[in-house]
Amino acid sequence: METMFDLPFMQRALIAGAVVGGLCAMIGVFVVQRGLSFIGDGLAHAAFGGIALGLLLGVSLERMTWVALPFTVMIALGIGYVLRRGSLRGDVATGVFSAISFALGVLLLGLRSNDGPQVNVETVLFGSILAISPEDLITVGVVGVATSLLLAFTWTKLAYATFDPELAALSGVKVAALDYMLLALTAVVIVVAVKTVGIALVSSFVVIPAATAKMVGRSIGRVALLAIAIGMIGSTIGLILSYHANVASGATIILTLGAVFGLGLLFKKK
Amino acid sequence: MSAAHADPEGLPQGHFSLPDPSLPRVLEVEGLTVDVPGRRLLDDVSFWVPKGEFVCLCGPNGAGKSTFLKTVLGLMAPTSGSIRILGKPAQKALRDVGYVPQRKTSDMTFPARSIDLIVASMRGSWPLRIREEERVRASEILRHVGGEKLLEKQIARLSGGETQRVFLARALVNKPSLVILDEPTAGVDVKGRAEFLDLLAEISASDELAAILVTHNLAAVARCAERVVYLDAGRVSAWGLPSELLGQASLSAISAVAGGDHAAHSHHHPLPDEE
Repeated sequence: METMFDLPFMQRALIAGAVVGGLCAMIGVFVVQRGLSFIGDGLAHAAFGGIALGLLLGVSLERMTWVALPFTVMIALGIGYVLRRGSLRGDVATGVFSAISFALGVLLLGLRSNDGPQVNVETVLFGSILAISPEDLITVGVVGVATSLLLAFTWTKLAYATFDPELAALSGVKVAALDYMLLALTAVVIVVAVKTVGIALVSSFVVIPAATAKMVGRSIGRVALLAIAIGMIGSTIGLILSYHANVASGATIILTLGAVFGLGLLFKKK
Repeated sequence: MSAAHADPEGLPQGHFSLPDPSLPRVLEVEGLTVDVPGRRLLDDVSFWVPKGEFVCLCGPNGAGKSTFLKTVLGLMAPTSGSIRILGKPAQKALRDVGYVPQRKTSDMTFPARSIDLIVASMRGSWPLRIREEERVRASEILRHVGGEKLLEKQIARLSGGETQRVFLARALVNKPSLVILDEPTAGVDVKGRAEFLDLLAEISASDELAAILVTHNLAAVARCAERVVYLDAGRVSAWGLPSELLGQASLSAISAVAGGDHAAHSHHHPLPDEE
């Protein structure tokens, strides 16, 4: 008898979901610890601007990542520049940049000619993890390996700079470069994750596993491992549940992560 | 030495008794000027700290104390002038400097233990695993500051006084020649402040370790300072012995900064609040 695990589209979805869940959680550990939780949402909205720009240029929705990526990274670096100048708080800078990008996206969508490719706005907003193509899976894999390697090489410095940028700088850590790298990586991961859970829900993918792990973990290393496990397992369980219940997969994944967060509250470290 | 006097408002002015110029200098600042667009934060600041001397850096809010520390630590670029640590350009000698920041600068919700902070200072990066020799060294330095029980304690659970004890340990762990303390007891309760002051007094008694303490706390100045540098509007307005600067006219000027607590001049009185 054929099970859901025999279906190629489900296999791709499960792999993509687990990888993206783990990646978002890994990035989320630093994003949440730095009090930048809102940035996931902001960059997802910025990604919408990139997607709209791609559509205006005639790029198909399947290849949209390659336009949205540089666009969102630019926005992330812009936020980083404003943050480093110290003139605005992180939430203000993120709010301004994401609102402008989203508005730009709406404007660009309106400028498209009517004979261009049709866009299902629901797909953009809420993702389509079951529609992940083999090409998408390769993109997810490449981004996953590159992000993991970069974070592994910079982990100890990034953690130090997150705890106290001044003390880290005194120890020779290149704090500014790491700040920009983290923001750029967040943008890359967000753009890839948008495909799976959509613009509306992607920030939960970044925030919930990290916030849950932070409640339980006693060291930054353990928090990271726990967050990655929660992101990967939560994504897998959510996807399986959505298949059997025949409901929206992205929303079910996030609700599953929300349930894990609830459990975390119960086991919160005293 | 140059003439010294008090200005009509009681602020200490000029150079009083200066350190013996023949002593080896741990920190030497010459003509240090720092500008930001539209404003001069430090204006031709010059003084030196000999080996083992405990200097209190005082002055009103906005006098340039934090700018001075950040420039010495390489976190701000000087417009002109030079900073030498142990005779070397400051940027090449930061390993010889220990730094105790104000409590508000670090993320105390960070999931970590005291030992992680201390080992991070030893390595220059955050530890994922701690080696036995690092544990022994961290334990030793915490014992030295009276915090041996804090080794495995989560930093989020440290009291204000314990936090500064741990930060002092991390500043001292690399055996620096100079330790810089930026209002370390601000926001710490009275008991914690008194205990921390005991530790500072120990540092002051050391002939090896030099220190610069930025403080508004007159009790700290009276008890620990071997020399006082008074900054005002970005300039060194006075440099001399505490007994000279804590004299009649000057005392009222400095204590006004600390909230007017003249009583703190005595070691046995309650410590005045810092800003």
